[in-house]
Amino acid sequence: MWRALRLSGAAAAIAWSVFPIAMVVLSSFKPQREIFAIPPQLVFAPTLDNYRRLVTEWPAFFPNMLNSLIVTTGATLLTVLCATLAGYVYARFRGRILALSAFFMVLVRMLPPIVVTLPLFPFFSWLQVNDTHFVLIVLYAAFFVSLATWIMRAFIDQVPRELEEAALVDGAGLFQVLRMVVLPLVVNGVIAASLFVIVYAWNEFIFALVFTTRIARTTPLVMSEMLSTTDGVDWGVLFAAATVQLAPILAFILAAQRYVIAGLTAGAVKG
Amino acid sequence: MTAGAAPLTAARPAARRARRLPGGTRPGASHYALLAPAQILLVGIILLPAIYVAWMSLQKVSFGADPVFVGLENYRALLADSVFWRAAWNTFLVVNAVVYGELLLGLGLALLVSGWMPYRKIVIALLIAPYAINEVSAVAMWRFVLEPDIGMVNWAMLQIGLGQLDWSADPADALVLAALLSIWIHTPFTFLILYAALQSVPQEIKEAATVDGANAWQSFRHVTLPFILPALLVALVFRYITAMRIFSEIWLLTEGGPARMTEVLAVYLYRAAFRYHEFGLASATAFAMVLLSLAVAAPYLYAAWLKMFRHA
Repeated sequence: MWRALRLSGAAAAIAWSVFPIAMVVLSSFKPQREIFAIPPQLVFAPTLDNYRRLVTEWPAFFPNMLNSLIVTTGATLLTVLCATLAGYVYARFRGRILALSAFFMVLVRMLPPIVVTLPLFPFFSWLQVNDTHFVLIVLYAAFFVSLATWIMRAFIDQVPRELEEAALVDGAGLFQVLRMVVLPLVVNGVIAASLFVIVYAWNEFIFALVFTTRIARTTPLVMSEMLSTTDGVDWGVLFAAATVQLAPILAFILAAQRYVIAGLTAGAVKG
Repeated sequence: MTAGAAPLTAARPAARRARRLPGGTRPGASHYALLAPAQILLVGIILLPAIYVAWMSLQKVSFGADPVFVGLENYRALLADSVFWRAAWNTFLVVNAVVYGELLLGLGLALLVSGWMPYRKIVIALLIAPYAINEVSAVAMWRFVLEPDIGMVNWAMLQIGLGQLDWSADPADALVLAALLSIWIHTPFTFLILYAALQSVPQEIKEAATVDGANAWQSFRHVTLPFILPALLVALVFRYITAMRIFSEIWLLTEGGPARMTEVLAVYLYRAAFRYHEFGLASATAFAMVLLSLAVAAPYLYAAWLKMFRHA
């Protein structure tokens, strides 16, 4: 009885979180006229028509997805590089200046991202870097470097210092120690830290809306155009786009589930 | 995970000396240099712009003209704008609905999953799926089932005489939908933090409580809750701070309409800056959001301050 109750609770919770996603993915394979059929058809002849129309009617979609890929990769590399260097110092050393700078890292995490668009938009257009991958990479990295640093610090903390000392005795420099000794032992931390940046950069909307127009436009933006057309939303095409956009990131999250938990524990609760 | 756990009580001097490497754990110049990339990003992209916004909020800025210092004029104009007050009120309502709705749902799910549960890994994976979904897709998904008259949930509610969620015409319904959406997207975060915290509750103490005759509620209230309280508070503060930024859900649903009835602070700011080019007004809003965020974060920041300097 108690177990049946738990199971039905779990079923309801899963329905709540998965149902909207499943509806969209399923509907993307339906012919246009059946999408709003009531009752919804679970059995239907699947078609790739929506995907065909996505390619022909929204030629910018896949180039925009490439932009998302470039920006996500760049932001992840930049974040993890900065975070590993800083995380190492916070894990290994103590001092008032370090404590102050660590506190500053936590503090800036509290500021709302939209605030920085006001000065940065005119500044970046003066530098003529608006609508470039660079702008989004730097912005995304800045807003996640703090969480990533905390995650890296937690993982580096678990690496025994003796290993480093041995390498130092053997005459290795600081960078060599980091690259050859520390980094290979904190791969899990790198994955956990990357994960949050990847999900954020792949899905981010506001900065992309403000700072990109055409050349560096990312996938969520072209999808928002599909959503806000004045002459009625073409749901079939939108669902095809949503499916293509969410499939890789969803697969990634499900595969890397345990890193999400490890990262949140190290980055949010302990930080 | 006990990573990053320097002892929570102030370490005794002898113990601290013992932990130090030869040469001490004071950083050298090269170590400070390792901090530079991260700190430069934070200062250049977040801190300086945030300070500059404070200065901008005291200026009258318009295109093609030099900024003129106007003191608190922008704040006076902001406080006199009824649209701003509606945006602030809407934000207050949505944020509280989202934060507490999510906390209850997240706690419920965490308790459910950490008890008896077959295929736990798969269940967790399915529950955190919304975390991977971008806001545009999420809005599309929810609009699809709640499209007035024809979305299946609205259609079903109409059939059984409940009336529908008429978000495209009714501002209150639009805010309800935005809150639901936001809860849907962000519950995985709250759920996972609380789930991880529940894993740290020692099983023996719970068993001891049961042996002593505590019922499920007493065991939760007096054993589980004290253990997960820190995580609960962290989730609460974090979600308050991030929920206050709510933008995309509203923007993609209604753009703040009809008649600016459903704006929240971030939408008000965005409109002022990028639609009406009222940069003074937008900056005043932005700085108000900064102060609000810091005020909400103050207890968390204070705790972080104490913790960091205790080990310094």
